[in-house]
Amino acid sequence: METLYISTRNWRSFLKGRIEERRIYAPFDSRNVTCYGRVSNSNLEDIVYCRARPAEPLKMFLMPFRERSCPSLPEIPDIVVMGAAACDLAALRILDAVFLNGQYKDPNYHMRRNHTLIVSFDCLAPYPSCFCELVQIHPYAESGFDLNISLYGEGMLVDIGSDRGREFLGNDRGFLAAEEEALRNRRESRRQVSEYIIEKNRSHDLKQVSKLRETFHTEFWKVPKEVENCVQCGSCTNNCPTCVCFIIEDTGKEDVSVKQKVWDSCLFPGYARMAAGSSPRPTLYDRYANRLLCKYWYMPENFTFTGCTGCGRCISGCIGKIDKRAVLTEVLREKR
Amino acid sequence: MEKNIYESIRCMVTGVEEESPSIKTVMLKPERDFSFSAGQFASLSVPGVGEAPFTPSSSPCEKECLEFTVMKAGRVTSAIHSLRKGDIVGVRGPYGKPYPLDSFRGKEILLVGGGVGLAPLRALFLALLATSADYKRIIFCCGAKTPQDYIYKEKILDQWHSLCGKMPLSFRITVDQKCPGWRFGEGVVTKTLDGLDVDTGNSVAVVCGPPIMMKFTTLKLLEIGYGDTQIYLSMERKMYCGVGHCRHCLIGDLFVCKDGPVFTYSQLKGKPNLWV
Repeated sequence: METLYISTRNWRSFLKGRIEERRIYAPFDSRNVTCYGRVSNSNLEDIVYCRARPAEPLKMFLMPFRERSCPSLPEIPDIVVMGAAACDLAALRILDAVFLNGQYKDPNYHMRRNHTLIVSFDCLAPYPSCFCELVQIHPYAESGFDLNISLYGEGMLVDIGSDRGREFLGNDRGFLAAEEEALRNRRESRRQVSEYIIEKNRSHDLKQVSKLRETFHTEFWKVPKEVENCVQCGSCTNNCPTCVCFIIEDTGKEDVSVKQKVWDSCLFPGYARMAAGSSPRPTLYDRYANRLLCKYWYMPENFTFTGCTGCGRCISGCIGKIDKRAVLTEVLREKR
Repeated sequence: MEKNIYESIRCMVTGVEEESPSIKTVMLKPERDFSFSAGQFASLSVPGVGEAPFTPSSSPCEKECLEFTVMKAGRVTSAIHSLRKGDIVGVRGPYGKPYPLDSFRGKEILLVGGGVGLAPLRALFLALLATSADYKRIIFCCGAKTPQDYIYKEKILDQWHSLCGKMPLSFRITVDQKCPGWRFGEGVVTKTLDGLDVDTGNSVAVVCGPPIMMKFTTLKLLEIGYGDTQIYLSMERKMYCGVGHCRHCLIGDLFVCKDGPVFTYSQLKGKPNLWV
């Protein structure tokens, strides 16, 4: 993969030129986290580079909370999303597997994916809720992006991951070939962040997480006391980069069929309830278990890779302050 | 532009038949060809109200008219019950895996249906009739709560019953609770399996009905000697997309919409919350 170096000053002037051409989104400070915002000439210098994953998952851009799915949407504009972390790129594998790689392609997702250029950032300051290393994902990306940015010295290293990424850079003269020493330094700083995450997660043990498939009985999930703090608000599923569940609403009139997709949450009691009122998951414990079984059992079975990327959004956004890592550790211990 | 996967085929309602106090059959004429195989389902949409999945109850060989037998249970099914001749609805599909009729050849086919579960079995039965020489014999066990709740009364009790002498076909008919004038059996549908003279080594059983009925019928069939791979179950779950995207219909890692709705018991055994 080709890696270039550009000074911060030159990068800003490069971006300035690109703002005219297309919508660019990037992370900005918002209280104690970073949130995506539209980049403009006035906030160019406020973009937060390479701290940790933004508060919102990438699915916000690729499958909005509510959108018309039939009749098909008209063309949508090209956008650039800067700031996704490696965990977010890992989540795209799931979204692509669901909406693109099966027998039926989702037309809206397909279109948005084609029109979205992704610039990922290395993580240098992960949140306490981050645990990507426990699910074999690193806090830096080596594939799955169009461009990837790592901070280095007075500038940044830019990896080119696709032709689309290369095209976006164009012939800007600010980009120089990266030196071997820069790459060596980056390897070292990446290793340190990985170790930091492993160290911070010492008390959690997900090594046996594939055994979760033996724990679907409700009783296992009554053991961790935190589970009963779940208020079934759907924060974890809305913030999760791989939760894709949606309902289809028919908003047409008379003989005109208009359908829209709206996100749903398997924590909601009505999620799996059928017409006559019966549900396969009548209790909170069944539903809480289902969400995690989906990540660590169903999705790996469906797509061959894990449904949890260790981004920790379900932990940091939880109203009941449930730490999923602790729940999993306890359930797996109980299983033994 | 790619074809939209959620686009429905417009259908005109050509008739509505009341099968029981809570069950109606709607007859539709699709504007475009809608072909399906027995066991597959469609998403039936009432514009402005919503969509829900149903297995057609009409013969897969019938191309002009598509029928759905629907029990009034919730919002969409209530809207379906309010349909009148001339109304427009939408149908998309067919989705899912059908009954594997090829592998049924030369075998004794046992059909066990309860209540509105007889609807998909009707489509299967009609498909079997069309190629009846391929099967050794057909045994159709039907159940309902009361004689009043029986769907396809004229068809099952008279029309189809009259075929019995002409081909290797038999019916075992029961109601949970009989009333005066009922000339068939009484007891839950699993009772019809008592004393069944069937070569389990060369037979398949196809079951459709409420979850509790499917559970006890499966247990009974296992007791009789059917293997896990010889028992076919039609599963039902909440469903929206029908194409494996929305994940509502998962039974463990299996999608009812694309891995089913017809499963063998061997596929389902050990999955979470199987019998709702």
